[in-house]
Amino acid sequence: MTTAIDEDRLTETFAALANSTRRAILARLAEGGATVNELAEPFTLTLPAISKHIKVLERAGLVVRGQRAQYRPCVLDATPLEAVSTWADRYRPVWEARFDRMDDYLRQLRRQEGASEADD
Amino acid sequence: MTDTQNSRDAVVIERTFDAPVVLIWRMWTEPEFLKEWYGPDGASIPIANMDVRVGGIRRVCMEMPSPNGPMQMWFTGEYREVVEHQRLVYTESVSAESGPVLSPTSPGTAGGHPMMTEVRVELEAVGNRTKMVMTHAGVPSDSPGAAGWAMALDKLAANIATNRGR
Repeated sequence: MTTAIDEDRLTETFAALANSTRRAILARLAEGGATVNELAEPFTLTLPAISKHIKVLERAGLVVRGQRAQYRPCVLDATPLEAVSTWADRYRPVWEARFDRMDDYLRQLRRQEGASEADD
Repeated sequence: MTDTQNSRDAVVIERTFDAPVVLIWRMWTEPEFLKEWYGPDGASIPIANMDVRVGGIRRVCMEMPSPNGPMQMWFTGEYREVVEHQRLVYTESVSAESGPVLSPTSPGTAGGHPMMTEVRVELEAVGNRTKMVMTHAGVPSDSPGAAGWAMALDKLAANIATNRGR
């Protein structure tokens, strides 16, 4: 069972990923760290616009910024992505157990039906 | 269906139940049936309000014993598709007892931004048995057009895996 905090965290991750520019930034960072200027290069967006996207990624914990001088290179942190990829993994056993119980309940109903038919 | 089959953000379970499709439909849509299988052992379902029609609200409360007294989990959502005995689609957000309870009219937008998911149940009669395909998928709450999102995420994850392997 996931907690509300996990859910909030996932929501933030999903929100950060629900934007093509931010996904492109992450894909670029997957190849290695980069400065904001380098990240802005392939886009027609202004530097402040790119910075805004990076801030969203930072809040979601997907990007970590270095402390080095004014360059402050961005580095990818894939940890929240691992949480995303395990969301379904965590829910699958919950559903499997539910359907096992549904199966049991159906068997119980059949037995009851059989018993009442025998009574008739 | 096929595009979510293997993606990381969905649970897809296919089962065949030894029961007619009418009964499986009732398992999903009638509280007295749902209560028998929805919660884990030891849990109870004190509330199951299911207004099974498109736009209708689904609100299920699960209560579990815990060392600090009963703990409640709320499942709140809205029915998106209702085709009797064939297809049922509803959204779902989970909150703890003390957590944000969603305003039914705005799933995914209430305080705390709980994540919204979608549950899709497809039923097919196979003789006197029922084949069921259940898909539970994550939906980014602030992006109505999430098409391609799962694919992008898969690509990104593969990209990361490749780069880590270097």
